[in-house]
Amino acid sequence: MSNNNAVAAAAFAELQETARESWERLREKPLILIGAATCGRAAGALSLLEEVKNEINRLQLDANIIEVGCMGHCYAEPVMVIYNAGFPAICYGYVKEGVGARIVRDFLTEGDPGIEFALAALEPNDLFPTFADFPRGVHENKIVLEQCGFIDPQNIDHYIATGGYAALVKALEMSPEAIIETIKSSGLRGRGGAGFPTGVKWETCRNAPGTPKYVICNADEGDPGAFMDRTILESNPHLMVEGLAIAARAVGAEQGYVYIRAEYPLAVERVTLAVQQAREKGLLGNSILGTGFNFDIEIFQGSGAFVCGEETALIASMEGKPGIPRHRPPFPAVSGLWGKPTIINNVKTLSYVPHIMKNGAEWFKSIGSEKNPGTAIFALAGKVINTGLAEVPMSTTLNELIFDVGSGIAGGKKFKAVQIGGPSGGCLPETALDTPIDFDSLTGAGAMMGSGGMVVLDEDDCMVEIARFFLDFTQKESCGKCTFCRLGTKHMLDVLERITRGQGRPGDIDLLQELAAKVKAGSLCSLGKTAPNPVLSTIKYFRDEYEAHINEGRCPSLMCKDLIAYYILPDKCERSCDACVGSCPVEAIHDNEDRIKVIDQKKCVKCDSCMVACPPQYKAVVKLSPPHLVQEKEKEYREGKKQWQKK
Amino acid sequence: MKLTEEEKIIAVETTQQILAGVDRQNRGQLIPVLQKVQEKLGYVPQVTMEKVANHFAVPAVDVYGVITFYNQFRLTPPGKNQVKICMGTACHMRGAHIIQEAWERRLNITVGETTRDREYSLERVACVGCCTMAPVVVINEEVHGKMTPTRVDGLLFAHQLDKQKAKEGNADNEQ
Amino acid sequence: MAEKVTITIDGRTVSAEAGEMLLWAALDNGIYIPHLCADREDKENPAASCRLCFVEVQGRPVPVPACTLPVSEGLVINTRSERVDGLVAAAFELLMSNHKLDCKNCPANGNCELQRIAKERKLRLKPKNLPVLERNLPVDNSVAGLVYDPNKCVLCGRCVRACRRGGNAVLGFTRRGYDRVVTTFGDVPLAESGCSGCGECAGACPVGAFSVQK
Repeated sequence: MSNNNAVAAAAFAELQETARESWERLREKPLILIGAATCGRAAGALSLLEEVKNEINRLQLDANIIEVGCMGHCYAEPVMVIYNAGFPAICYGYVKEGVGARIVRDFLTEGDPGIEFALAALEPNDLFPTFADFPRGVHENKIVLEQCGFIDPQNIDHYIATGGYAALVKALEMSPEAIIETIKSSGLRGRGGAGFPTGVKWETCRNAPGTPKYVICNADEGDPGAFMDRTILESNPHLMVEGLAIAARAVGAEQGYVYIRAEYPLAVERVTLAVQQAREKGLLGNSILGTGFNFDIEIFQGSGAFVCGEETALIASMEGKPGIPRHRPPFPAVSGLWGKPTIINNVKTLSYVPHIMKNGAEWFKSIGSEKNPGTAIFALAGKVINTGLAEVPMSTTLNELIFDVGSGIAGGKKFKAVQIGGPSGGCLPETALDTPIDFDSLTGAGAMMGSGGMVVLDEDDCMVEIARFFLDFTQKESCGKCTFCRLGTKHMLDVLERITRGQGRPGDIDLLQELAAKVKAGSLCSLGKTAPNPVLSTIKYFRDEYEAHINEGRCPSLMCKDLIAYYILPDKCERSCDACVGSCPVEAIHDNEDRIKVIDQKKCVKCDSCMVACPPQYKAVVKLSPPHLVQEKEKEYREGKKQWQKK
Repeated sequence: MKLTEEEKIIAVETTQQILAGVDRQNRGQLIPVLQKVQEKLGYVPQVTMEKVANHFAVPAVDVYGVITFYNQFRLTPPGKNQVKICMGTACHMRGAHIIQEAWERRLNITVGETTRDREYSLERVACVGCCTMAPVVVINEEVHGKMTPTRVDGLLFAHQLDKQKAKEGNADNEQ
Repeated sequence: MAEKVTITIDGRTVSAEAGEMLLWAALDNGIYIPHLCADREDKENPAASCRLCFVEVQGRPVPVPACTLPVSEGLVINTRSERVDGLVAAAFELLMSNHKLDCKNCPANGNCELQRIAKERKLRLKPKNLPVLERNLPVDNSVAGLVYDPNKCVLCGRCVRACRRGGNAVLGFTRRGYDRVVTTFGDVPLAESGCSGCGECAGACPVGAFSVQK
């Protein structure tokens, strides 16, 4: 073995040498990074890339441009970073059409860094603040996301040059038992949602009889509102590949799979390339780095079924069947893919592994809290200002995450709730904002860590509607196998639908709670067991909203379409402005005898266009709930007019 | 939707090509094979399901069970342009249903349908992970963020312009 | 021959084969536990989908489906408890809310597992708190002597297994969620599906969704 180790170390040193050379060569010239993960692309990153390339060609500048992943500042997409000698590296945000070319031109030809477009500098300097100088930077502690957005995900040399695959080499020198011991004592808990100790899972699998054994990376990120795994795989796929190889070494597997949902085509592409490059470098395949350890990875594309995030359903799907969970035990670690011992770990879980191997269990335990060591990675979305990815130590509070990292609520609106954990999680109100973010505290508060989706809701968001939305989701995604999930969620959804339509009945809240308790207790898999959480948590914290819907036919947040009507305030309407009329897709707006715009309620499809179109200085279009208030308002107007005419 | 004779022949040939060399014992290849067929044809025809069932020696109804279980698979040919509306949480809370209705009104079809000229089909997809750009629509493979009903009109118009341009440009090649 | 173990069910000491699922051990000893999806011919692979066979196991925090619990020496079981009864009643009511209730005209009348469960556990056949969800699926009587009424189906899957054992494997589960249904390839009528008309499905069906016409 020791001889093998020397061979591996020598082979790896050579790889590192080549990688470092190519990495350093990049920085010899000005270097431009463009964030082109899916989120960046949706904001126009690819045309920015084109624009910057053209500008550089036009000016015949000598600079390197690389496409990188996402560094988490999704709110400011497209994002660009420039390293220019003599200046600190600067990160630019909201780089709209024309701006990219201008920044590059000014900076590279005239030495004007264009700080009016800069978000922050990346290294301390006396010119410009860094991310660490903002409230966000105080809380952020990037481990898994560290390299995301700073290296080319399509170039394995970048990963190796920044320390990649050294942990695998270290693991190859260690005994499998020692690797498991390290992971166990680090206290790493599975980031897929339930928080099961990773080391224990590995140990069970290692000790289970039967060969071959399999390791699977679960990248079937199906929670609506979560995009951490996508970002990690698009921005730094090698981190997961390395983690999976270490897991394989620990449990004694020679074959690994990455199960990625087909809805993430870019992630599929990046991981496929990463595996191929690792194979070419001898970091995957037969006798890795000459050690005699064989391990290879195949990609399996999920076909779109949320339930496949459940381990046994994922396995069924890989075996060519519908993704239908089975009773556990036996757990997959004992009897998994093709009946063989199999471990399934989430992308984030595996991404911590190389860092723990490199820095040790003690280091990992020093971050976060005792029972929840390490960091939490959250996808911040919804009504928060700084949407994007954030990595903070476990036990950071919700308040800090939403108001410091996320900079609070957009548009000066009032915070109402935060939805955590997707369809399995719950909505927590303002009073719960001091809850520390970790597996146990969130579950205690009625939500769930889930896989890390966090959608912030403001005063315009109806809590009954959000409960209905999630139940609609789980009901559609239920595999339909077991009675409670198939029929229990269907009945619950029917009740919620009638409430949001204004047809709620007295007793509906009790019925929902009863059904929820039974579905939780009786369902076969965790999809069913957690499906009622969004309903239970909204009833717990926002019962008054349910009651307003049921008892008054009123949606307090003015969101439920059947319970609102659009109305144009006569005293605010400017009369000669036709913005709303032009925006209406169904010609429901016309002038009344006073040339004030009036909405024909029979024609109105409640598409919101007029409200958006009405110029902000008038703000004449409002929503009313219950909808019959419109008639009252119209009557008021007519009577007011009569009075005025009499005078 | 009835298939033309030509479509049937293409379906059989494509399936046979994809199945060639695939290990009959390895049922793990069943879904990847169906995915490849769909990638080529845009849907999975019945004849493909029968051939695949035969290849792996499983009851045909089980392949049908797989196809009808997963969101990804289509039983009928899609439109040339596939419009997919993201139904993730962030999109929903930012008015995905309003965007959906705008598409339905403009294309005069409902979700799950294809326009009669097979030019557009409309679908809802689970979260595409671009929550920060909500509401999001994916047209073919391209992600469009921050949608509004007026942008729906704009996108359709742009598409039609492109089509017209392509038609004029390729008038000679087409025939 | 597997080793015999002694277990206690509802205070009664019974002997069973080690590793056998508790449900069968109980039934073979004359102790009734409600069940629909359990299949005697395929004991090792319980579907555990009907969620009716919950029992209390001493030392376990929550009720467990008896069809998934291998027996071992000294196991102590209670087939009834407040929690078990609550779960069984809820699962039964859910199933009944989605079952076309027409006992008088049903060929399974008097030989129906749903009627038996209702009687044994004193449950109502007609759901009390839940509205009935009608499926309105077409009845298939295309094969002479065989009737399939999917509106009565409780999705236990016993017909699917039986069709694979004794028939031509034409039945299977398709779709998902509330739309999950037992059907044929392409949803064609049984007569066009390659069905041999053997009637194994009717023999396996516990509720009269598949029946042999006299």
